[in-house]
Amino acid sequence: MRVVLSWLREFCPTELSAEELAELLTSKGAEVEAVERPWERLRGVIAARVLEVRDHPNSDRLCVARVHTGSGETEVVVGVRNMAPGDIVPLAGPGAMVPLLPEPLAAREIRGVVSNGMLCAPDELGISHSHEGILILPPDLEPGTDLKRALGLDDAVLDIEVTPNRPDFLSVIGIAREVAAATGAPLRIPEPTFPEEEERADEVATVRVEDPERCPRYLARVLRDVRHVASPIPVQARLTAAGMRPISAAVDATNYAMLEVGQPLHPFDLALLKGPGIVVRRAREGERMVTLDGVERVLTADDLLICDLERPVAVAGVMGGEVAEISEATTDILLESASFERGGIQRTRRRLELSTEASMRFERGVDPEAVPRGADRACELMVAWCGARVLSGAVDVGRAPERRWVSMRTSRASMLIGYEVTPADAVSVFDRLGMRSRIDGEVVHVEIPGYRVDIEREVDLIEEVVRIQGYDRVGATLPPVRQAGGVPETVAFLGRVRELLVRAGLREVQLVPFVSETDLALVGATDAIRITNPLQAEEGWLRTSLLPNLLKAVRRNLHRQVRSVAIFEVGTVFRLVAGRPEERPSAAFALTGVADPGWTGGGRVYDVFDAKGVLEAVAAGLGIRLDHGEALGRPFHPGRSAAVLLRGERVGVLGELHPSVAAALDLTGRIAVGELDLPRLREAASEARIVGAEIPRFPPVRRDLAFVVDVDVPAAAVEAVLREAAGELLDACLLFDVFEGDPLPPGKRSLAFSVDLRAPDRTLGSEEADAVVARIAERLARELGAELRTG
Amino acid sequence: MEPEQARRTLETERERGLRAIAEAASLDDLERARVTFLGRRSPWSEVQRSLGSLPPEARRELGRLANEVKAALDGALAARRAELEALAEDELLRTDRVDVTLPGRRPRPGSFHPLTIVQEEIVGIFTRMGYRVAEGPEIEDDWHNFEALNIPPDHPARTMKDSLYIDVPGLLLRTETSAVQIRTMERQEPPVYVVAPGRVYRREAVDATHGSVFHQVEGLAVDEGISFADLKGTLEAFARALFGPERRVRLNPDYFPFVEPGAQVAVSCFLCDGSGCRVCGNGWIELLGAGMVHPKVLENCGYDAERYTGFAFGMGVERVAMVRYGVNDLRLFYDGDVRFLERFEGAA
Ligand SMILES: [Zn+2]
Repeated sequence: MRVVLSWLREFCPTELSAEELAELLTSKGAEVEAVERPWERLRGVIAARVLEVRDHPNSDRLCVARVHTGSGETEVVVGVRNMAPGDIVPLAGPGAMVPLLPEPLAAREIRGVVSNGMLCAPDELGISHSHEGILILPPDLEPGTDLKRALGLDDAVLDIEVTPNRPDFLSVIGIAREVAAATGAPLRIPEPTFPEEEERADEVATVRVEDPERCPRYLARVLRDVRHVASPIPVQARLTAAGMRPISAAVDATNYAMLEVGQPLHPFDLALLKGPGIVVRRAREGERMVTLDGVERVLTADDLLICDLERPVAVAGVMGGEVAEISEATTDILLESASFERGGIQRTRRRLELSTEASMRFERGVDPEAVPRGADRACELMVAWCGARVLSGAVDVGRAPERRWVSMRTSRASMLIGYEVTPADAVSVFDRLGMRSRIDGEVVHVEIPGYRVDIEREVDLIEEVVRIQGYDRVGATLPPVRQAGGVPETVAFLGRVRELLVRAGLREVQLVPFVSETDLALVGATDAIRITNPLQAEEGWLRTSLLPNLLKAVRRNLHRQVRSVAIFEVGTVFRLVAGRPEERPSAAFALTGVADPGWTGGGRVYDVFDAKGVLEAVAAGLGIRLDHGEALGRPFHPGRSAAVLLRGERVGVLGELHPSVAAALDLTGRIAVGELDLPRLREAASEARIVGAEIPRFPPVRRDLAFVVDVDVPAAAVEAVLREAAGELLDACLLFDVFEGDPLPPGKRSLAFSVDLRAPDRTLGSEEADAVVARIAERLARELGAELRTG
Repeated sequence: MEPEQARRTLETERERGLRAIAEAASLDDLERARVTFLGRRSPWSEVQRSLGSLPPEARRELGRLANEVKAALDGALAARRAELEALAEDELLRTDRVDVTLPGRRPRPGSFHPLTIVQEEIVGIFTRMGYRVAEGPEIEDDWHNFEALNIPPDHPARTMKDSLYIDVPGLLLRTETSAVQIRTMERQEPPVYVVAPGRVYRREAVDATHGSVFHQVEGLAVDEGISFADLKGTLEAFARALFGPERRVRLNPDYFPFVEPGAQVAVSCFLCDGSGCRVCGNGWIELLGAGMVHPKVLENCGYDAERYTGFAFGMGVERVAMVRYGVNDLRLFYDGDVRFLERFEGAA
């Protein structure tokens, strides 16, 4: 809501400056986001009388105006010709400034004629948006008069963010009430006055409300002989500053009254209303009408219509229709001032995606008591601005509801606020707010005016007390928390996984969890959850895996010439399970580029073993064992990937991307990734127990054993057989070398294990160790065709 | 051997031996000298072996001399060995030296995301005050996200933040962590002291200060006798723990459907101490929305709103992180740019 300061002061003559008011209103809950001065840059523009308008000697389009400035004559070149000798026009002479131009004006030659400044159009002065012609000023302005002062263009605008609970702040009077309550300055709201004709409104038009729940009150005033003229210039300036477009005096009067009182109004051309009569009814399903903006609207049975006796003429509380719109030809007006139920307006506004000044107010709640005042104020203005004649009385159907009384216990207020509130304190607050109240022991009963739609129960009154007394009066205490704080295991576990991944040398990322159908296809998801109204249609699904967006982050980094990318995310993935959404925390990581870009790194690039190492570090850190199953299909490299198994059950994936998948994602080089389903890891980790077992006292016998096997025998199989054959005496087994090539024959490789044998109760003899080695060699030879290399 | 000849031999050997040892240029030379002068075939050994055939008096005297010579040679050998070893070590160290200004061989550095760091810090402050962490789903139903929070279907507050709905009727991506308030109160009886960190979603175009996804930390305290002053005190304690002991807290009235009275909470700027700077503008950093839990919300959760009162607050984690780290574009948090993430290696 943009409130023009001079307008506000008409109702509450506060001495405070715009900035002081801004601070005060903000501290009371009407947050002033900005103080603007639309005419701050207007300087030196005066009224001038046109003496002569002649053709520009060197241009068909331009003309030259000779004007009287009050102290002399001057000439300016003008691009339009709407002014005639005798007209009073705004002149910005050399040195003057207008809001629309960045620099002061100067005399300059335009096609051979010196122009001493310019004549101003309304938009150049910030009076309206019109640029069609030079602004013609009232004839009684003396040439030489400074326009800033004469037109009241020395004003400030408070731009107020109105919270949905305070629709009364959507009016100048509403803000004035708040300023009066906050400052103690008087509040003066004059009753509109205007003469009424003998002819009665209810003899001319009828009103029938078929849905009194959705339209509790409908009041129509009738005006005749409404002249089609422009509003007074200061009014146009005020409307423009308030953010509305001046149109014609009749329309401006309804907008002006709405901004002032908060009551939306709608003028119909009486001559175009069939009957003439108004019927307020629900639309028929599929009924159509064209609104003022020229759009044909298809309505539902939930939409409320304003109709004449034959057809719809407006969508109630939202927008008028084309058929009874007022125009230059209009002489008689039926002026609507009505109450509409909030929810209905909101539903219609949403369905039609059509938000207007009227709907915005109605859906928040308009003071039901303001219906007559709104209409009367507009009538008063149309009498003044358009010479309208107002018929006597109104066609008035329905009435404002009774005022509510709400009670507040001062003991409850004291307890909730945290300082002592007496009944007298409370009454003085409600007095300042202009609300009638009554003390009854420790209870204060308060009559709630129609404009305070937000006050429903005791706590709302308590808020008024602390708000008006000031939040800075509230002390600072701590509640008696009688429990130990803490984090549930589910949350703590995610922190633990993050910690392990950071310790493994990865950087944490957080990514937006929306994905495309291509992303879903990449990870083979068929149970993804679709977003009904995504912001971007192409990212219309919730991720089922962290990998697609992680890969995009990798790509962004590679495109930025980052040499080494090692990132992870811990976050929620979403799936539809039996028609219901399921959320599971997941952890995924990706490594690509040079493993150690430093001078000692040797240029080695990340591969599947780096990913596997990360996985091993996580498993070790959680005290669990992860195994590796069969190779994975796309998007993974068939020879460099594996399912990750926990107790034989698949809990994740590990591997390099398939080269053609990587290429399709615009990724180059090896991309090693892994993803783990965290709930299952958490279960296993919660069972893990650390045992501070006895540290062995006797020395081990260490034997380095190299076995030559076929290359397709998995190292894990060799190690498994070795461990089994070694039996209880095996203390540790480390695969320390893998070798292929000369002198080994093709198709063979050597796997070298460093094997520590140890007995718990004695120093192991070398004969015993030899026997174990022999047993290992024999089992491996028999089961895997392995040959123990000697020497 | 004559005693006199033996004496001369010992004297000569001592002299020659000491000279040879002193001249030994390497440990090998030294070993050769030891063998030459003290080995089994050395003149000294010969004398030693002949001692038995000498008269007792000469045997005693020459025996002593032989021991003296051996001791002198042994001593010289040990001293020279030590010298030579030191030289050898010097040589070794000289050839082994490197350019220590070369960069170190560094373990791959990991780092936490700034939002994780800030969120953990915020949560930590409250858990140390005795709050417990509460959780709720990111996909919520209308009841928990709106209705129970005193936001009925026609409420204008629903238009303030357009929500993202999913293709399951009645479900949406939660717009506030406030939904966790309801889930917590439905689950447990008062007293309640919880904080709920989590992701929230809005149907909002992404720019430097707006995102469709962001993080909030919600707090809720419900107990007998909880007052607005308790809220102010709690937030003041929080602000001081997060931004330093000098911080002040300012509450202005604001509106959220699920609290009454409601407040917009600002903290005096930690950079300029409230005098106004580029980060804060007017000296105050708006940090949270808060208020006393609306009795309707308590009633919706089956609480006795006459007996229990409470406060709730919610803050944006991104907002805190932006202020704390001087980040001016929200999108940096969700890009995964390694160059950005590197900056937080030193954050604790
Ligand atoms: Zn500052």
